[in-house]
Amino acid sequence: MAQSATTGAAAAQPVTTRGRPPSPRRAGGRPPGRMSRAAVHHPWWFALPAVVIFGGFFLLPNLLNFYYPFTDWSNYHTDINWVGTRNFREILDDGTLWRALRVTLVYALLAAFFQNLFGLLLALLLEKDTRFNRFFRALFFLPVLISALAVGYVFQALLNTDGAINETLGTDVPWLGSTSWTIVLVAVVHGWKWMGLAMLIYLAGLKGIPGDMLEAARADGAGPWRMFWSVRFPMLAPAVTFNVTTSLLGSMNTFDIVQATTGGGPASSTEVMNIYMFRVFGQGQWAEASAMSLVLFLVVVAMAFPLVIGLRRREQML
Amino acid sequence: MRRTATAVALIATAALTLSACSDDTAGTANGTGAGGSGGGEVDPTARLDGVELTFWTAQNTVNAADQVIEAFEEATGATVNVEAIPDLYEQNVPTRLASGERPDLMFWQPSISTLPFIQPRQNLLPLDDEPWVGDLGPTEQSLGVIDGTRYAAIVTSPAMLGVYYNKDVFAEAGITEEDFPTSYEELLELGHTVQDRTDASAFYEVGGDQWPLQWQVQVQLTDLPETWWEGLNRNEESWTDPAVVDAITTYNEELLGAGLAQEDYRTGTFTGQGEALWEGSSAMALNVTSFQSQLQAQHSTEEIDERIGWFPIANSEARGLYSPDQTNGVVAFATGDEERQNAARQFLAFWLGPDYADFLDARKIPSVQPDVPNPEGMPQTAVDQVGELADAHGVFQAKAIVAPELHVALADMIYGERSPQEVAEFVEDQFDDIARDQGAEGF
Amino acid sequence: MTAVLDTPGPRNAPLGPRIWRWARPTIVVALALVVIGIPLWLVLATSAKPRGEAINPNLDPPDHWQPGSNYADALDQGEMMRGFANSLLVIVPSVVLVLILGAAAAWVFARRRGKLVATAYAVCISGLLLPPAIITIVLQLRQLDLAGTRPGMIAVYTAMYLSTSIFFMTGFIRAIPYELEEAARMDGAKPLRIFLRIVLPLLRPVIATATIMVMLYAWSDIFYSFFVLGGGDAATLPINLYQVASAELYQENWHLIFAYVVVMSLPMIAIFLVAQRRIVSGITSGAVK
Repeated sequence: MAQSATTGAAAAQPVTTRGRPPSPRRAGGRPPGRMSRAAVHHPWWFALPAVVIFGGFFLLPNLLNFYYPFTDWSNYHTDINWVGTRNFREILDDGTLWRALRVTLVYALLAAFFQNLFGLLLALLLEKDTRFNRFFRALFFLPVLISALAVGYVFQALLNTDGAINETLGTDVPWLGSTSWTIVLVAVVHGWKWMGLAMLIYLAGLKGIPGDMLEAARADGAGPWRMFWSVRFPMLAPAVTFNVTTSLLGSMNTFDIVQATTGGGPASSTEVMNIYMFRVFGQGQWAEASAMSLVLFLVVVAMAFPLVIGLRRREQML
Repeated sequence: MRRTATAVALIATAALTLSACSDDTAGTANGTGAGGSGGGEVDPTARLDGVELTFWTAQNTVNAADQVIEAFEEATGATVNVEAIPDLYEQNVPTRLASGERPDLMFWQPSISTLPFIQPRQNLLPLDDEPWVGDLGPTEQSLGVIDGTRYAAIVTSPAMLGVYYNKDVFAEAGITEEDFPTSYEELLELGHTVQDRTDASAFYEVGGDQWPLQWQVQVQLTDLPETWWEGLNRNEESWTDPAVVDAITTYNEELLGAGLAQEDYRTGTFTGQGEALWEGSSAMALNVTSFQSQLQAQHSTEEIDERIGWFPIANSEARGLYSPDQTNGVVAFATGDEERQNAARQFLAFWLGPDYADFLDARKIPSVQPDVPNPEGMPQTAVDQVGELADAHGVFQAKAIVAPELHVALADMIYGERSPQEVAEFVEDQFDDIARDQGAEGF
Repeated sequence: MTAVLDTPGPRNAPLGPRIWRWARPTIVVALALVVIGIPLWLVLATSAKPRGEAINPNLDPPDHWQPGSNYADALDQGEMMRGFANSLLVIVPSVVLVLILGAAAAWVFARRRGKLVATAYAVCISGLLLPPAIITIVLQLRQLDLAGTRPGMIAVYTAMYLSTSIFFMTGFIRAIPYELEEAARMDGAKPLRIFLRIVLPLLRPVIATATIMVMLYAWSDIFYSFFVLGGGDAATLPINLYQVASAELYQENWHLIFAYVVVMSLPMIAIFLVAQRRIVSGITSGAVK
């Protein structure tokens, strides 16, 4: 989730022309030796601290991340030497790269799916603005407020083979011990943690549907089911796009829930890229960790690109 | 605005050039490596008023040296400040060192695979001529040495790897001490006997916590000669050696495949292992001394003596394996401050000299010095283990220059995600990578 | 409009809606009991159990209640007060910086035009989507002598969340009538004064939302803080929790873990209860309009 949750926020904000400053005169138009009006009224140094911090502690590391994966940077010696693509060849050869990539993508897709499914169902259940509903909305929002690490531990205690769920049901199911299903379960936990946020956004989306539109549909004799699929769901589209994309990109960057429930197991079947980086970094193989970090970066960029274009288009439409 | 861009570009390039090329801060060499090792004469109780020493420990060993520290402070007037470094200790200590911090003393696993983490040659005081070196038992003396130089004082005896068994289950199966196995093969046969005659599973295996998985393979590697390990460390031998692959295969097929482990061995936990052995739902647990600590945390010495026994096992004999851990060794840092360096060495001499018997008594742990007897009140399993230490084999963590994560690959194997051959290849790859990172010769 | 939403189906529909009227609250309550109630009960009950009962966590009520000593242990062994102070010392400055620097930059980005501004803006909001390169951040902080320090962590958090606040605020400022500034300018106000007196106060709603969002992520962050702070004296609450949970392999201490979880979650829950309306409207009004 991290930093992307509010992406759509301002994107969807109506951009009114009213607030725009009058177009500055073209550069050539102003008398030489004098600053433009914009420069006087909104001096660039207001932006400087933000640009410097962002450039220095976000952009620069990402640029360096294109260099260090090609070195032998490690805990064991002080010099850093160029080694070409060795680190990438290694994670390619032993299959780690594809596995981590596959696990991360599967996890992100599943997590985004569950988060939105739960969020939408809750929003539909709690749509009316009553006291009863407001109370339960707050209750379902609770997991959002609890740290993801804590959520992970809670579900580990529930799902362990000798944990609370098996004990209550009298079963002996290794919930966290399946190489194919555990990842689904952890994604459900992820969905559980963030469903409250998705719910709020869907609620807002539902509220934004014009009343006369619903009236018209009702006058046409649409039943509740058809009402939902042909009128309300299409109108929810912006909320869906926003929720799906942010949860998808956010869960690409996941760590804490997985670390706290499975630690990447069983048999590395839930070892997402960040867990791999964490593990390899701990062994002192810093360049290898950096290589995986670069792969994650590139994958996210590849996924974010269509998204940005989509958001832009919507912004222009509004 | 153009100037902004230029400024940003400038800052960016400056920072780029700054950080490219080398990570100077990683384990800064301090140049005073051998400073102050002026002969072996150390007076353990010389006055040290006003001297302050910093001692790093892990979270779970923060009180381990309390007795020594108190006694030392009283005897010399020095002050020793204990600072707990958070878990994961082996990961966080190098990070702290990299940021330039140096304690004077620190608990550290004295094995050749773990010492390189802290770059001993640059960071640590050599301890070859200390007065206590000759007092250590033979196994203890072999620990803490890298490339012929001693960097760690051995203060507690290393963990022992062996088989813990439930005495009631063994009695029910009619197994007596004469039936104890003298080879891994016999151990498996014994397992079948137990399962045929009782309801208990022969072994409790810990797939959930992973790390104990390695022991079943490790005990089968004891017939590899010393020269093989030396060859491995020069990249002349490989983990894909048939001996290693066979050991993994045997574990996979003749123990797990033959149903000698409890049903949920894939998700079994360390805690579960303790419970299962205590209740007798499993007959045996192959594990190191921390298993015993787990029992001791919950049961009294008498209860343990009554219910749990221990015997050593290796591939073709009844010998134990020792496994060094973080509480066994203490290293002293080359801080560049002569007075503190000497005080640190004096502290070690005090610990392993006049104070040692009191220290053991306070902790109820076995001695590393043949001349200092073990304290009273240790469980019999612990006494048995100490007896085996002198001629024990070492686990690979103590023999290979890099300790690969065999257990991670084995965890993949028990889920059918890797074959024994692939487990060996994973281990070899990782060994190779890190050995090369360490700059070991031949890699 | 609410009148319309009051009835989910047509008013005269025969059976469905009437059942729904009863079924819906039942489903909601049942769902809440299972989905929220069980985990919540597990946490609260286990945090009050003695260690022996908590080794295998279950849903039974504690035979022996000892919340006091568990919470005292968690406070003490988990060094909770230190963690709490550390979390505050890192997060509060980060949030303040994110807001102030973000607002100042957003003002420029919203009001000035031209290729350079557009580019700078695009670059500054790229952090919305791009993941931080945490491994190289560590290296860089070491070179700057900031590794393992609070200023280092603050710089990293600030850089990570600046994009969000700039993006947010730029959109918001664009919607503020330009005339408001213009009027103040006529009175001879300097840019700094206009920014402080006119723009910042108008930004209040976004500031609230941005604060909440940053808090939501930063308060529970473990991944980045682990690389940057790595525990030690500056360890934050989540790092402490991680250490309590992973310390001493052979002692499963669920009762302490959960006592820790409860105490650690309380501040966020308290903030939510106090500012619930603002948070909800902040999140939703921003997200979909």
